[in-house]
This record gives sequence, C-alpha cells and structure tokens, in this order.
Amino acid sequence: MEYLSLFIKSIFVDNMIFAYFLGMCSYLAVSKNVKTANGLGIAVVLVLAITVPVNWLLNRFVLQPGALAWLGLKFAAVDLSFLSYILFIAVIAAMVQIVEMIVEKYSPSLYSSLGIFLPLIAVNCAILGGSLFMQQREFGNILEALVYALGSGVGWYLAIVTLAAIREKMAYSNVPAGLRGIGITFITVGLMGIAFMAFMGIAL
Amino acid sequence: MGKLKETILNPLFKNNPITVLVLGICSSLAVTVELKGALVMALSVTIVTGLSSLILSLLRKTIPNRVRIIVQLVVVALLVILVDQVLRSFEATYAIDKQLSVYMGLIITNCIVMGRIEAFALGNRPLPAILDGLANGLGYGLILLIVAFFRELLGSGTLFGIPVLKALGYQGNGLMILPPMALIILGCIIWIQRSIDKELQE
Amino acid sequence: MNTEGNRYTVIYTTLVCVLVAAVLAVVSQALKPRQSANEKAETVRQVLVAAGLGEMEKWRMVDNQAVLEAFKEQIDGDPQVYTTSQLKAQNYNIKQGKPLSLPAYRFKNGVTVRAVYGSGLWGPVWGYIGLEQDNTTIAGAYFDHESETPGLGGKIKDDPSFRASFRGKAIGKDGKVEFDAISGATMTSRGLEAAIDTWMKAYIEN
Repeated sequence: MEYLSLFIKSIFVDNMIFAYFLGMCSYLAVSKNVKTANGLGIAVVLVLAITVPVNWLLNRFVLQPGALAWLGLKFAAVDLSFLSYILFIAVIAAMVQIVEMIVEKYSPSLYSSLGIFLPLIAVNCAILGGSLFMQQREFGNILEALVYALGSGVGWYLAIVTLAAIREKMAYSNVPAGLRGIGITFITVGLMGIAFMAFMGIAL
Repeated sequence: MGKLKETILNPLFKNNPITVLVLGICSSLAVTVELKGALVMALSVTIVTGLSSLILSLLRKTIPNRVRIIVQLVVVALLVILVDQVLRSFEATYAIDKQLSVYMGLIITNCIVMGRIEAFALGNRPLPAILDGLANGLGYGLILLIVAFFRELLGSGTLFGIPVLKALGYQGNGLMILPPMALIILGCIIWIQRSIDKELQE
Repeated sequence: MNTEGNRYTVIYTTLVCVLVAAVLAVVSQALKPRQSANEKAETVRQVLVAAGLGEMEKWRMVDNQAVLEAFKEQIDGDPQVYTTSQLKAQNYNIKQGKPLSLPAYRFKNGVTVRAVYGSGLWGPVWGYIGLEQDNTTIAGAYFDHESETPGLGGKIKDDPSFRASFRGKAIGKDGKVEFDAISGATMTSRGLEAAIDTWMKAYIEN
C-alpha cells in the first residue's frame, strides 16, 4: 500500500515536468509526434529505473557519512559525500551510453529519430534530479527507490505523450506565423503546468 | 575573421540557445524569479561554457568517441565542483559561494554546456571553441535577464530588489512568480523574435 | 594513434576517472579545515541572529575570529557548536526514535537558541529559533537552505521580513508555530513547517 501511494504520488503530485520542471529541453524538442515521444518516454523510464537503484546502492554503501563501515571500523568515519554529484553523473552517463548502444543495435529507426537527444538524456535534469531526490528523501530500501524511479519515469512519460498528442492536433490549427512550432508549445506547456498545480494539494 | 565574428554574434540572436536551439530551459524557469539570481546564473554559465569548451577542444583528438559523454560530463562537473570547493575555503569568498552553491547542480546539468561541447567544441580549434562557449553563455544570459525583468517587475513590483512598481502601490501578481509563467513569457519572446526575423519561422 | 580501440577506450576512461577523483579528493582533504572553520563561523553567525543579537548584515561585516569571540562573550557556558551534518544525524535519530542530543545555546541575555532541520523542495532546510526565558515566545529566528529556488523558497533565508515575522510568536504545547507561507513556495514552506514541528516537539519531549 505504501509503495502504491509512493508510486501514484511520484506520477502526479511530484511530476518531474509539471511540479519540478525537470528535463524540459528534451521534453520540448522531442514531442513533435506521439511515436518519438513514446520512444523517448520509454528511454527515460528505463534509464531512471536503472540509475536510481544503482545510485541508491552507491549512496548507501559508499557515499553517505559512515557508509563505508562495512569495510571495517577504520572506514566508518570516512565521508565521501563530496563525490556524490560526480559519481551519480558518471553512473548516469555510463547507463545512457549502454541504453544508446542497445537502441542503436535493435531499433535503428528509433535511434535515428531520437538523434542528438539520446546522448543528451545524460544531462536530462530529470535523470540527475531523480537520483538527487532519492538521496535527499533517504529511502529506506532499494525497492522504495525503484518504485520512486518508476513513478517519476511514468510521470515524465505521461507528460511527454500528452504534449505530443496536443502538438499533433495543433498542426491543423491556425496559429500566428511567429508562434508556430516552439512558441505555441511553450505556451501550451505553461498552461498544462498551471492545470497540473491542482494535484499539488493532494496528500497521499 | 568574418567567421569568428559570426561565432560570437550568432548565439546572441539568430542562433540563440534558448529561443532557437531550445536548450537550458529548466534553469531558465528556476532562476528567473528575480533579476539578481538571473544575473548570477548568466555569469556562471558563461564562464563554465567558455572554460569547458576550451578544455574539451584541447582534448578533442584524444577522446574515444564511445565514451565522450562521460568524459564531457566529468570535466564539466570537475570544473564546477573545484570552483565551489575553492570559493568555500576562503573567508572572503565564503559568502559568495553560499549564494552560488544553489546553482551548482543547475549548471552541471545545463544542456547548453553539453550541447555546445557536442555540437561545436569537439570539432573546432580552441580559440573558436572558447568564443562559441562564451557567446552562447551570453545569449543564454540575455534571454534569462529579459524573462527575469518581467517576472520580477510584474511579480513582486521590484527590480534587483529595489521597489519600482511597488513604490507606486502595485500589488505583486503571484501568478508571475510561478514557473509556468516563465514558459509563457518565453513563448512571447519567441513570438516577437520570429516576427522580426521571418527566416526563423516554422 | 587509434583512439577507437577497446583497450585505448578503457584505459582512457579509467585514467580520466582516477585523475578526476584524485584531484577532487586531494582538494577536498586539503581545504577541509578551512571549510569547516568557515562553516562553524557561519553557524555561529546564524545562532547570534536567532538570539536577537544583531542582524545578519552586521555579522557579515565582521571576520570569523571576531564572530567567535563575540559568541564566547555572550554565551552562557561552553556548548558544542553543531554542524549541519550533525543536525542531519540528529534529524535521523528523531525520525527513528533513537536517543537524542539536541543543540541548545543559552545566552546571557536569557535567550535559548534551538535548532531545526528538515527537507524543503530541492534539498535540506535548517535554521535556529531563539526562545525567551518562558521557553515559548520566539525572540528571533534565522533559516538557511542548501538549494531552494532563489526568489521563491530561497526567501526563507534572503527575505529579512520572513524571519522577522516569527518574532513574538508563541510555540504551542505540541511544538507547532503558525506562520505565513511564502507565496509560490508551497513546498519549501511546508517543509520548513514540518521541520519546526518535529524538532520543537522533540525539544519539548526531551
């Protein structure tokens, strides 16, 4: 039950896009049609679901103050938390590279349509944000971290697919020339963000 | 010489990282509530993009293609963390660091830094690379300051914390302070820019 | 030279990672004493403000040495100054119901400063609340944060009127304090409220 509420909370209340505005760059650039949005959304869910638990282990057994106690008493006083940024990022970059290689091998069409944005997932703030939030919230066990990661990923996925669907429909609308494309998208996302604020008050 | 000039001028308007390339949006939402934060962020990003473009341009012939993202990120993160650590160590700069450390994570994950390294620094010599980095930082900062100007003026009625509209009895508009409004202002800036420069229209 | 071979790639990556980690470790170790000295002075500054002994601007003008001396002069006894990571550890103990040792700075002017710690929107928030001799009326407060949004959640530290709004308020029997949330920063305000509730309750129960 606790896991279910954490899952739902991280999808709607703590939505990466609409509550924290993380991962906007690729969100705006790869939401022109539902198909590629779907691809990137799945990639984000995957990368989050891999990196957050891995970084949880890293945080629990290496980085936290006193985390190295399992190596012996001598190490109990070591505090490596100054390395957390760089290690989280290294883990994320490595995982993204692996996902990139897999996608390139098995789905060249998806690979070519995602273009520059697959490598840029590495700097997608939503991914690093996921790991940093995990560290901040001090999840008790790895399962909680995984559920949180999945929820955040699904929230991001939902957000990008909805926007892509709106943008597909909008292609037929008569938008002022200067606003066409990215301009009207910014405004749409702004309005969606205001709508999503309704979820903020929900306590789960 | 003409080419260098283009490298510097393009990112300010025609190829602006925010309004044309759509990079670095997250941070432009977070730090544009007030002009002061926007200015600090603009300067830090300019310095980081310049330096990291320079370093990676120097290393460009040695970096294996498959691990380039990791190398890029590690260099950028190292740069930012080093500056943070050094500033934190001196009494005179400690207060500055306390202001800056808020932006640290935002700078490391700012897509502009990585985007420029990927798209430019890795394929160009150090001098154009550093200029491109600096110019993109400035182009980013320009938009940041415009958005922050409107959000601070209409949201709190102040500019750089000095009461302007507030002094005339203006009540702050809470909606302007919320992040979605930054997106809508950005949309309007894009509209204006594309009405002036019709080539950019889609 | 072939920069795409497996061996080169692995060696290059390892070298870069080891080099970077080494530089960071050396720098961090070498600068640690200076950093903790700065951090301690900063904490003392915040505690002094919470005790109602001058505003932050005044203490910013003064160097670390002078701040520590002023603290020594005003303080009653010689309490240990808790760092934020020690506060974090105590926060963990409160949540787990473990034995606590919470910081309390008793000043000669009768004010006792207590600490609070919790999480805001992006990272930890903490602060110090000074209480009059009756142990319920707030004499002053100072709040700090690691990474709240400047201009929104960041106001808990940057807006003097926010911390001034605590002065004269009373702490309830359950540790609750009522204060106006910062508009546009619901999550930070909520986090700070939770931090104050939990810690004040812990102080009352101990």
